[in-house]
Amino acid sequence: MKTNFLYKVTFVLFSVFVLLPILYTLFSVFLEESFLDNLRLINSSTFLLLFRSIAISSLIAFLSTGLGVLLAFLLYKTKLSFRKGFRLLLLIPLFVSPYILAVAWKDVLYLFFENHTFIASYKGLVLILTSIFTPLSILIIGSALSNINSQIEESALLIVSPRTVMFRIILPLIKPALISSFVLVFIFSISEFTVPSYLGVKVFTTEIFTQFSAFYNHALAVIQSALLILISIFLLFSEGKYLSEAAFLSIGTKGNQQKFHELGRFKIVALIFLLAYLFSSVLMPYFMLVFQGMNDLGKAFDLLKPTIFNSVFLALGSSVLIVLVGFIVAYFSVKASKLKKIFDWILLIVFAIPSIILGISFIKFYNQSALSFIYTSYAIIVIAYIGKFTFIASKLISNAIRQVPKSLNEQAILIGISPLKRIRKILIPIIAPSLFVAFVISFIFSFSELSLTMMLYPPGTEIMPIKVFTIMANAPQSLVSAMSLIVFSITLLLIVIFHLVYQKIKNTNV
Amino acid sequence: MKYLSIVILLFVMLSCNNDKNVVVVYTTVDQVFSEPILKDFEKETGITVKSVFDAEETKSTGVLNRLIAEKDNPLCDLFWSGDPVRTIVLKNKGITEAYTSVVAKDISTVFKDAEAHWTGFSARARVLIYNKELLSQYPLPKSIFDLTADTLKGKVAIANPLFGTTTFHMAALFSLLGDEKAKQFLGDLKNNNVVIASSNGDVKKRVIQGEVFCGLTDTDDAFEAIKEGANVGIVFLDQDGIGTLVMPNTVNLIQNSKHQENAKKLMDYLLSKNTEAKLAKSCAQMPLHKGVDTPTDVPSLDHIIPMDIDYQKTAQKLEEIQLYLKDWVED
Repeated sequence: MKTNFLYKVTFVLFSVFVLLPILYTLFSVFLEESFLDNLRLINSSTFLLLFRSIAISSLIAFLSTGLGVLLAFLLYKTKLSFRKGFRLLLLIPLFVSPYILAVAWKDVLYLFFENHTFIASYKGLVLILTSIFTPLSILIIGSALSNINSQIEESALLIVSPRTVMFRIILPLIKPALISSFVLVFIFSISEFTVPSYLGVKVFTTEIFTQFSAFYNHALAVIQSALLILISIFLLFSEGKYLSEAAFLSIGTKGNQQKFHELGRFKIVALIFLLAYLFSSVLMPYFMLVFQGMNDLGKAFDLLKPTIFNSVFLALGSSVLIVLVGFIVAYFSVKASKLKKIFDWILLIVFAIPSIILGISFIKFYNQSALSFIYTSYAIIVIAYIGKFTFIASKLISNAIRQVPKSLNEQAILIGISPLKRIRKILIPIIAPSLFVAFVISFIFSFSELSLTMMLYPPGTEIMPIKVFTIMANAPQSLVSAMSLIVFSITLLLIVIFHLVYQKIKNTNV
Repeated sequence: MKYLSIVILLFVMLSCNNDKNVVVVYTTVDQVFSEPILKDFEKETGITVKSVFDAEETKSTGVLNRLIAEKDNPLCDLFWSGDPVRTIVLKNKGITEAYTSVVAKDISTVFKDAEAHWTGFSARARVLIYNKELLSQYPLPKSIFDLTADTLKGKVAIANPLFGTTTFHMAALFSLLGDEKAKQFLGDLKNNNVVIASSNGDVKKRVIQGEVFCGLTDTDDAFEAIKEGANVGIVFLDQDGIGTLVMPNTVNLIQNSKHQENAKKLMDYLLSKNTEAKLAKSCAQMPLHKGVDTPTDVPSLDHIIPMDIDYQKTAQKLEEIQLYLKDWVED
């Protein structure tokens, strides 16, 4: 009963702090006199643009997930040399803001083509966003691959070929992760506006941004965002359908060994592929930042020094809360019937709302005398991050929970272990790797979030991504690159520290 | 419930910071230039300045949209804008408060709102930045209309005219030339394969890299390029014709804000000769007061023929042409 109570409290708190501001803004827009006039502005060209954006985002999600399968298999299921190093290096694009990466990519491609025609196109957009989001797919799929029980693969390999094992056993087993990867990358791509805006490519979010920033028509921007929300709801509905049909997986429990495959004669080919991918999609833009920024590192550090503590503290606190809420939602959504998955839907809707609209909703709701204690403190940012990123954490954790054999829980119930103890002693230790991944991803996103933070940061406070981007205007490229490098290095250092702490806790509990 | 109470208590404690000796300023002026001046004000007056800066990534509209959203309960006391457009948008939405600063009495009325809702200081101009090496074989454009010449086909860049100072530049052309001639000019520019960059900074970068021969940008971007050692030059266009667009910084009070007296002090400080001297030094902005010490490489407004425009009317024109500009960009 206590666990149900926890779920209900979390649901009420989330609804009050996050959902209510959004509903408040939506109703304000619907009640505006200009609502019908704005509605008339939604025409065939709006839908054409929306469909184009859906097609582009689908392609990016497909490519990222495809590359994610290939790379995650090589890094998590084979005995390839240096695979742990590759795992870390391939995550680099996640640590740097998409906008900064787009700037670096544009400079790299200019070196080859001597003009921006290729990069300032849909092809360029797909290339850049695929390279940015593939690490997310690798993390999600890699985490699922690590959880496959080695006995299943070994038994299958006794009867059928490795190729058949891959296509008939491994891929079906990680189907929830593949769908999650596709869904997350799709939503990230369709709601991304900084990269297409920088490249000058027109997509649905740049249209929303134009209404917002050039015409100051907040109402139309909100109505257009509602279309994005509908697309996301449709996506979740489809995902739910596929997941309900997916086989429940068996997880490699503590003490079980993972199955690592030998690549034989393909080992060299795999290494060359990994190196080529690493060089072309990760190291080239990163080297561009190093090349441009190494002379200004000292100056950049002085500028960013006052922001480090605030930013780390804010991202750390937010990610702990995100994982906590994500876990509570995931735990109940896995068990709940379709109708009771309303919390899942709310998380997705909030996640799909463009950051600027979310920011405006929070300002309109919280900027009132009675609530100014939230609006004028860091609390507003923490609430915004929880609203924005809990969906990702919840997805990752629910996938992991789905992989835990039901029999474990059933046995625990039979011997009378209480629900809270079952969660603490059985479930959490088993899904700890996924909890850690959810924490790391939440931290990275909270640490680098810009659009929402820009709308909400309290006057007089200093937060790292804000500082980088406010200094960026009119600062020399070398200083901007140097600041990006410092943000990247701090993120990397913190993740290594988190990993060491996690390993220590894990080893202590073994 | 115990933990929830602690969290609420913490929030309340945070909210108890009712420091009266503060002023909250929102600014679209680049942080590298505005922050040192705000820090100097803090040192000299003891008034704490709480600032919100804007970012290039949001086309410097994040702060403006925040001000509009905060209209019913303003957190900001003073808005310092890099150009008059945004201030006029706020004035039209009833967000600004009138204040006449005695410090600005010798600034020309051209750079002030007739109802004292905003006052201009330190100006930038729209200039042509060009790559000296690439343009050496061709005649140097002297007029904005030279940018439609065949020799510059595909070799001129301008920033997206839906945002920032480029919008205002286009609106100024429309109000000065009339709709027909201005549309003809923009059509010719489009036919000449003008490159639409994401920002003025991007225009500067494309000229330095040599992707285009020249482009329209603001003086601070152009001078920054020269300071970085790029092989570029600057032309103040149309000195024999319609003149160059001059855009002052503007400052205004926010209606019903909480620290009006401190905001007035900061407004007076920003409108002083001393601030203009600092901005001339840091980003080559041209003072509007007479007799301000400026570095030798900073041009004087006395030697530039400005476009003869009314800022309020130009801002209204801007609203009229936004849809046309959107179609022009997307065509």
